[in-house]
Amino acid sequence: MPKLRHIAIAAEDPDAMAEFYKKAFDFVEVGRPNGVLADGVFLSDGTLNMAILKFKTDQLGKGMDYRGIHHFGVLVEDVEEFSKKLESLGAQHYIDQGQGGHQAGYFEKKFYGPERILFDIAEHGWAGAEPLPAPMKDAAE
Amino acid sequence: MAKLRHIAIAAKDPDAMADFYVKAFDFKIVRSNDGPLAYGHHLSDGTIDLAILRFKTDQLGRGMDYTGLHHFGVLVEDVEKAGKKLESLGGKHYMDQAEAERIGGFEVKFYGPEGILFDVAEHPWTGTEPLPVERAKEAAE
Repeated sequence: MPKLRHIAIAAEDPDAMAEFYKKAFDFVEVGRPNGVLADGVFLSDGTLNMAILKFKTDQLGKGMDYRGIHHFGVLVEDVEEFSKKLESLGAQHYIDQGQGGHQAGYFEKKFYGPERILFDIAEHGWAGAEPLPAPMKDAAE
Repeated sequence: MAKLRHIAIAAKDPDAMADFYVKAFDFKIVRSNDGPLAYGHHLSDGTIDLAILRFKTDQLGRGMDYTGLHHFGVLVEDVEKAGKKLESLGGKHYMDQAEAERIGGFEVKFYGPEGILFDVAEHPWTGTEPLPVERAKEAAE
């Protein structure tokens, strides 16, 4: 089964917000993304990647001053297979991201689901997030 | 370490949206309810609760027609201790859950930096993984 492994927050001051969650819950800083879409801080609780980001584009159509929970991400076994499935269910593909060099450890594709909820899918996973559980067959070997 | 265990989405049509994520990612509906705060469905990927809710109050101050990602929830060992720590860091207590509703849902809601709303709970959300320390205790028993 796919797993929720990423939650992103749109922040005005990602450094200050990340400090709060590190102190509050002992989340660990695992990266400092600085890309064309956003800058900020990646935290991990050992299972999920929590990205606290200052976005550079208006992905949600809520304006550049939107602050709040922004999107989530699902780790899947096969991005292509899930892309087809999502589109067959009516989701709208938004953008892709390559996985080379500094782009590794992020989303791979973004989709809008019902009511234009934005979510990512990835098969390589986000920095600091747990991989998918090993299939039963592998676990038995 | 505390764990992210809950993501809540504000939806106009929670039934249709829940159906989409069940079909898309095989998430399971583990609880549906119509309480004083919201109507909707709780989905689980086995680890995290994804709540798809039509809220009955304006918890974010964005108006009743807001749709999108709403808040997240963190599972902690001790809600009272976590609450004191959050307040010492500048978190603002918003509300407590009614005693009868505490098991399987949030227990206390706080606003963190930039007004981001989040829940804390010491009882796992329905259908989610307990804290690793609890899991180790269960395994030992």
